[in-house]
Amino acid sequence: MIAIHELVKRYGAFTAVDGVSLEVAPGEIHGFLGPNGAGKTTTLRMIAGLLKPSSGRIVVNGHDLAQAPEAAKGALGFIPDRPFIYEKLTAGEFLTFHGGLYGLNGDTGTRVREMLDVFELGRWQNELVESFSHGMKQRLVMAAAFLHRPRAVVVDEPMVGLDPRGARLIKDVFRRMSEHGVAILMSTHTLEVAQEMCDRISIILKGRIIARGTVEELRTLAGDADDHLTEVFLKLTGGSGVQEIDEIV
Amino acid sequence: MKSSEHPYAGRAVRPGTTTIQPFPYLLLPHLWSSRNRARRRQTGDLARACLFGSIGLFVCAALFQGSFWLTTQLESYEELGDYLLRLGLGWLFLTFLSFLAFSGIVTTLSTFFLADDLRLLVASPVAMRRLFHARFVRTVAQASWMVVVFFVPVLLGVGAARCAGPLFYAMAAATVVPFATIPVAAGAMVTLALVNTFPARRARDILMIMGLLFAASLVILVRFIQPEHLLRVESLPDLTDFFATLQSPITPLLPSFWAGETLFASLRGGFDALHPAALWTTAMAGIVAAGGAYGRWYFSGYSRAQEAPKARFTELRTLDVIAAHLPLSPLRRQLLVKDVKVFLRDVSQWSQLLLLVALMLVYLYNFRVLDVERIPFVSGFVKNIYAFVNLGMAGFVMATVAVRFVFPAVSAEGSAFWIIRTAPVPLREFLWSKFWTGLVPVLVLTETLTILANEFLGVDPFLKLVAAATIFCLSFALVGMAIGLGARYPRFGADPTQVAGSYGGVGFMIQAILLVLVTIALVAWPSSLYVFNRLRIVPLTMVQRWLMVACFTGAIGLSAFAWIGSMRSGVRALEQMAD
Repeated sequence: MIAIHELVKRYGAFTAVDGVSLEVAPGEIHGFLGPNGAGKTTTLRMIAGLLKPSSGRIVVNGHDLAQAPEAAKGALGFIPDRPFIYEKLTAGEFLTFHGGLYGLNGDTGTRVREMLDVFELGRWQNELVESFSHGMKQRLVMAAAFLHRPRAVVVDEPMVGLDPRGARLIKDVFRRMSEHGVAILMSTHTLEVAQEMCDRISIILKGRIIARGTVEELRTLAGDADDHLTEVFLKLTGGSGVQEIDEIV
Repeated sequence: MKSSEHPYAGRAVRPGTTTIQPFPYLLLPHLWSSRNRARRRQTGDLARACLFGSIGLFVCAALFQGSFWLTTQLESYEELGDYLLRLGLGWLFLTFLSFLAFSGIVTTLSTFFLADDLRLLVASPVAMRRLFHARFVRTVAQASWMVVVFFVPVLLGVGAARCAGPLFYAMAAATVVPFATIPVAAGAMVTLALVNTFPARRARDILMIMGLLFAASLVILVRFIQPEHLLRVESLPDLTDFFATLQSPITPLLPSFWAGETLFASLRGGFDALHPAALWTTAMAGIVAAGGAYGRWYFSGYSRAQEAPKARFTELRTLDVIAAHLPLSPLRRQLLVKDVKVFLRDVSQWSQLLLLVALMLVYLYNFRVLDVERIPFVSGFVKNIYAFVNLGMAGFVMATVAVRFVFPAVSAEGSAFWIIRTAPVPLREFLWSKFWTGLVPVLVLTETLTILANEFLGVDPFLKLVAAATIFCLSFALVGMAIGLGARYPRFGADPTQVAGSYGGVGFMIQAILLVLVTIALVAWPSSLYVFNRLRIVPLTMVQRWLMVACFTGAIGLSAFAWIGSMRSGVRALEQMAD
């Protein structure tokens, strides 16, 4: 599970994340929504151990990230919005190296082939990553994140660059992961995906959580029980700007 | 695939795991990448390897020969020779000590704080200690390889000249390793302090300017000391003072002194245990101290390096105002304004101009202090010969400036090149805009250099005119070649320094130098014929006049051909890219 308590991140006088608390239970898929610049990626990067919080506490699978960073990171799978992959490595080499980072040994080769097959990259195992399309790179990063069987997964914009088949595959993998008790915290702008997959959703605006609950609870909060999640999101985060767009066009 | 076939289905999820691999494991991706790069060669790789390999071998051979010759010469001076060799070794290491320290600071910034793969490694369960050791090894290798490559032929030359035994070569290897480690460890700690004080990207800019100012001031200082005075017989009594100043009281405390002493002892067949021990223990202590500091402050520094505070930049409104008054089409005006603003806002670009200005000042100062009048009878002849040397130097400066600042102009569009390709902008128009933007500064710079240097020398007015006209033609030719070849061999992902050193960049330099040499040959013969005939009051024959016209026309035609031909070839290459 993932638990964050009163997380704050300041850049000088600017507060990007302002006292965010959140808990993702084992087996839960938790959506993390918000407009651009709301503080989603900053929060996720703090959970992944890439950014140091100004204050607050992060616990992954019972390990405090500040006190036991290696144990916490070992239990986590992180899929960033702009992932880094060694371009001159093959897909197989990249996953093998990644497995070593997370302490996999022994049957690494079998596990690597297994994950490449799951993410439909099996026939690309010995090809350099530099020749991959964006969607293939995205699937490779996901294969790396699930390689060590993490207890919690943090994913930033998982559907960007994926074709419908790839998107379906990822949704399927996430559901199966959650069925096996993995806690998933997922930031996305694809509200249909959030509506379809998430057990609960937190909406962040200007660094603060402004709403949390199931899709139905959020609809009620927005004041219309029949609204699509997009309408709910726009009502909660401050309008669509459609009128202004009409004026410009 | 059915969901039930997923590999984690029905299995217990493993608890949190951490890396148990030793730190060299983290270096594997770089080794595998190098291996894959070598296996899957691309077009031009072999030619590039041969070209750079030959240049490298030539430089190494020259260094070996130079150090061999110098050591042999010193040996003939009895005790003074030994003294000078010992002093020379100390100074050689001292020079590289400061270079390594600075290189260590800059390399650490990149390897520990700005490298892309850190996003992967920092997020994984790798102990800080392992990450530090892996990155430190990489930093030492990256910061010191040039120094090591320089030392190998130089020390081989010294050893060969003194017929040194295997002990000398073994000690040389055992000295260079800790000698490179100590300043890099110190540099790594300086960077850690800097990054915890400033954001990493700001710290990089500060370091870049500091480094270039340091290099520029060093060049100016060394030149203004006028070391050529030491070669004059009348200044011999000052030599003792000169050597006294070389022996500063603080040098025995520096690793460069220990390295020099170690090698000098083994060169004489002895074994000095104290200085190598000092080197190794200091290197070890440096690693331990840096490791401790990184364990304590690395994450906060790395976290700061990820932060992107609001960029400070100059609006450069004057540039907009000036551009608005230039007789340019709106397209060319916008391209010009964009190129100049991007250049001036990128510290890594404009800061290199500081070094260029310093080199120009030294260049002009050399002509100012050149005492040609001391050579009796032939001072007029020598002056005019110098006019052509000056022309060659200006041509070389122009080629260097063009390869560094003009050749990468197309590549500098980087990932934003799609804007040009999808906009209704003819690629011809785009490339010619790049040409004019590059031409003006190159022309002004090299014309100023040539005119001032010839003025200081006091060369014949006719030669001044010829030199100025030649530089004018060469500017068009070299800038055209740089733009054209830059469009034929673009590297959109690389930074400008890498672009300048790429296959196309080296190809441009070779062609540019050939063009400069041929042009000088074409203008030198008729010009000297005219000037010397006039000095001797001998009229030119009709054949000579026609030959003069042919040579000058040939020089102009060659420049025009290189200019127009290269630009057309560049436009074609861009159009083929679009196809």
